[in-house]
Amino acid sequence: MEAKQENLFDTLRPGAKVGIVGIPPRDVIGRLNARDAHILDLDEPQLKADMELTAPWLPRVYCAILRTAVLNALHLRLDMIFIDVGPGKCDCAFHVSTVLQDILPIPVIRTRNEDDAAFGHPLCATKMALLEKFKRITAGVQSAAPYDGAQFPPCRPTAGFWGVPPRDFSLLALFPDTTHVYGWTRCMENKTPADWELEAQFNAEVPTVFFAQSFCAKTALAKFLAAKHPHGLFLDADVTCSSSTRAKIQAFLELSGVPHAAR
Amino acid sequence: MLLADFGTSYCKFLDAAGPAGTPYLLATKDLPRDLRVDLATGHNARRFSDHYVNELTALARGGEELIAAPDYVLLDCGSRDIKFVSYRQGKLADMGWNSECGASMGFTIELLESYYHLDYNSLAVPANTFSITCGVLGMSHIFDAVTSGISEAEAVARFVKGIALNAYRFCGSPETLHLSGGLCANPLFVGSFPCRVIPLGRFVLIKGLEKTIRDSL
Repeated sequence: MEAKQENLFDTLRPGAKVGIVGIPPRDVIGRLNARDAHILDLDEPQLKADMELTAPWLPRVYCAILRTAVLNALHLRLDMIFIDVGPGKCDCAFHVSTVLQDILPIPVIRTRNEDDAAFGHPLCATKMALLEKFKRITAGVQSAAPYDGAQFPPCRPTAGFWGVPPRDFSLLALFPDTTHVYGWTRCMENKTPADWELEAQFNAEVPTVFFAQSFCAKTALAKFLAAKHPHGLFLDADVTCSSSTRAKIQAFLELSGVPHAAR
Repeated sequence: MLLADFGTSYCKFLDAAGPAGTPYLLATKDLPRDLRVDLATGHNARRFSDHYVNELTALARGGEELIAAPDYVLLDCGSRDIKFVSYRQGKLADMGWNSECGASMGFTIELLESYYHLDYNSLAVPANTFSITCGVLGMSHIFDAVTSGISEAEAVARFVKGIALNAYRFCGSPETLHLSGGLCANPLFVGSFPCRVIPLGRFVLIKGLEKTIRDSL
C-alpha cells in the first residue's frame, strides 16, 4: 500500500462498507476490523445481477472471479476497495484495479500481500461438508484474529481438492466430508496467499481434483500438478458448474472408489 | 430388466433378462413418452428412470468390459458431445467430457450427409482439413470452401476430418484409440484419425450398465 494512502483509514466511519478483492495483508484487515468496517468479499457473488453487465469493462473470456468482483463493485454502495495485486493474487487483478480506479468514485487501493506468518489450516483437514469448509475459509479472510485449531481436529482423507475457491460453490457439494483441501485455498486459510511452496503441495495417497477457474493463470499449475499426481484430475470451470463438469467429478470419485454425495 | 443409453439422436436398449441379450436402437424423437427403464445413462436418462449412471462412469465400465489391455484410451463420440477415459495399468488415469466446445459434432456430421445427399461410405479421406473445435461453428468453413470452388463432398470430408482430429487431440493424441458411438460405422470419420482406431460400436455404455448391474448383485 502506498504511504499517501495510509491516512485513508482515518476517513472510515464505523460500519463503512469496504470491499476486498483477493486477500489484502493482515495489517489492512486488522485496521479495518479495528474501525468496525463492514468487509465484503467481492470475489464471491454478493448480489443477483447479470454478469453481462461487466462486458463494457472486461472481456467475456476472463476470470469469472474477477468479473464477479467488478460486478459487485459496480452495484454495491462501497466506501472503499482494497484489491490485492501481489504474488498472492494475480496480474489480472492488477489490471482490474486499473479499471476500477477509473470507473468508481471511491478509493481503490492496491495491496501486495506477502505475509509469511503461518496461521495454520485446520479447516482444510477436518471432517466437514466441503461446501461448509469453503464458506468458513473464505469468511476467514475478513478477520485478522488467530484460529482455535483444536476446534477442528484432522480426519483421515479419502479425497483431495486442490485449488482456489470456485466461483460456483455448488461443485463442492459432490465431494465427501473427508476431502482435504490443498492449493491456494489452503494458503488462504493459512493467511499466506503468496506461499507458493504451500500452494504446490498435494497428497499423492488420495484421489485429487486439481481445480482452477477457466482463464486463470493457475490453470497451468493445476494441469501440471494433476499430471504429477498418480491419481489426479484437472478440472476448470467458468461462471457456473456445467452438467459435464459435475459428471466429471462424480465419475472421477466413483471410479476411484470414493463414496460421494451426489447421485 | 431394461437398460438404456438415452442419447441425443439415438437411444440404445438392452433387455438384460431377455433371450440372447441383443441390444437395439430407437431414434430419440420416436421414444414413447411414458417409457420407463430400470437403469439408464445418457443426458436424457433421468426423465425415463429412477436409477441413473453418469455417462463417463458407464463409458469407463463399458471399456473395462470390452478392452483387455491394461493401458488404453477410449473415446465416445456422440451426437452432442465427446468424452473419453484413459486407463493406465488397469486404473483410471484421465478423463474428459466436452459438451461445449465439442458441441454437436456427431449431429452435424449426420445432418451434412443428408443435406448434401452424400454417402460417407464412398468419400475418401482428404489430404487437407479444416481447423474445427465445434460442429456448429465449423459449418462456416464448409460454406467458405464451397464458395471458393471446392466441391461440397470435398468440403464436408475436410470438415469430418477436422472433427476427428479435434477429438483425437481432446483425448490426448494416443497411438491407439478405442472408439465408441455411432460414428464407428462412418468409414470417413474412422479413417480420418491419425492413429490406429479400434471401433467398438455404439453399445459400449450399455455394456457399462450391464457391468454396473452385475457388480451390484
